[in-house]
Amino acid sequence: MRLTALLAMAARMKLPPDYRHGIYRPWTAAAKANNPPGLRRKKVFVEPISKEDWKVFRGDTVEILTGKDARKQGVVNQVIRARNWVFVQGLNTHYHYIRRTANYPGTYIANEAPLLLRQIALVDPTDRKPTEVEWRYTEEGERVRVSLRTGRIIPLPVYQRRDGIIPEQWKDGPKDTSVDDVLDRTYQPSLKLFEEEILELQGIVETRRARKSYWY
Amino acid sequence: MAAALCRRFFSAVRVSGVLQAPPGACLSGLTLNLLHKNSTKVEPLYQCKFLHTTLSRKGLEEFFDDPKNWGETVVKSGDEWHAKHLRNKSNEDLHKLWYVLLKEKNMLLTLEQEAKRQSLPMPSPERLEKVEKSMGRINLVIKEREVALRLLQTGHENPRPGEWRNDFLGRTYWYNSKEWPIPWYLNKKYNRRKFFYLPHVKHFIRLRIEQHLKKQARMKSLEKKKQFLLQKKFPHLAAQSQN
Repeated sequence: MRLTALLAMAARMKLPPDYRHGIYRPWTAAAKANNPPGLRRKKVFVEPISKEDWKVFRGDTVEILTGKDARKQGVVNQVIRARNWVFVQGLNTHYHYIRRTANYPGTYIANEAPLLLRQIALVDPTDRKPTEVEWRYTEEGERVRVSLRTGRIIPLPVYQRRDGIIPEQWKDGPKDTSVDDVLDRTYQPSLKLFEEEILELQGIVETRRARKSYWY
Repeated sequence: MAAALCRRFFSAVRVSGVLQAPPGACLSGLTLNLLHKNSTKVEPLYQCKFLHTTLSRKGLEEFFDDPKNWGETVVKSGDEWHAKHLRNKSNEDLHKLWYVLLKEKNMLLTLEQEAKRQSLPMPSPERLEKVEKSMGRINLVIKEREVALRLLQTGHENPRPGEWRNDFLGRTYWYNSKEWPIPWYLNKKYNRRKFFYLPHVKHFIRLRIEQHLKKQARMKSLEKKKQFLLQKKFPHLAAQSQN
């Protein structure tokens, strides 16, 4: 059992310290093709924003301030914090043409280009205009985003799970454990080791005695 | 060699046991032979290898998903097990859950391999990630319990005893003890290892310390340079840090 823990350690991706994060996430095949090991690219300076100061999340409505699609509002699709990038759905796109072949007529596909945080502003729900936002604490102690112009709290977007499950609408399948079974507490703290307890429960009596060994 | 042994045993052994020889079961050790009723029957050569099938032939269907899900491109699966829920479960429950997850993992790995073989995308590969993460968390919880017990009983976190030792190059490192069957004064291999350094090494220790200090100074100046460049690129940061 402990060997699996060792093997799992090797599975985590280790990135070099000067890795340049691109549009593709580091574990995808495209990123691995673009960034082979040993590649050194010119350093890209990224404005350091701490985790607590980050204000834009997936599902937020933002307005683009500069660029081709200036003064347009859209929903944030993806956020890449390593480069301070935000992808807005359907906006700031460039078109990529797929050549026609025998079976395919050929088409243009729109790809969103990333936008820096400086080119984005969160939208105030009251007047639907871009505002500066700050993190503040409510009287209850909850940390919220407050618009500086109107003082209105901008609620966090509803967190959507990556696997698309909405917990309230989920129906258990045949292999799923019910909520009551999961929350049922069966743990009795004892001074026995896991292995000793399992031996007892299985009715295995270990009569072998370990040979005398020396630790040095 | 094994085949010849098998044939000789079949001719030599008399019928003794009551157990019926299951069809297609092959031999593993010589002990299993004595229990077979039809031991006079000569097995063909290719079956008398070091192969052992289980006595019951049921259970292979557990390597495959529910037949209703065969051919689907998306199979829905629930949430994975989280550590805070696993900590509330008894050791027996964790033990059983481990094997349930293991069987599910085997099923998913079979599915993955079959999908690769047929050059098709695996239906819902996130199930495998969820199972692996849950198994890792079970490991974590059991380790936590073991560490807690060890801290209570001995005061140490590490299962292996160890100490700081010097090697023959003058470096100080954490030496983890090994388990040996013989005491240290009889161990030739251990006695050949040197856990001390001779006086001529002191000069090199000083050089090593100098290397370390230079490296630290280099990292510090690199940090300063980085900060300076960042301030140049993003001038508002200077104003912010002043505030």
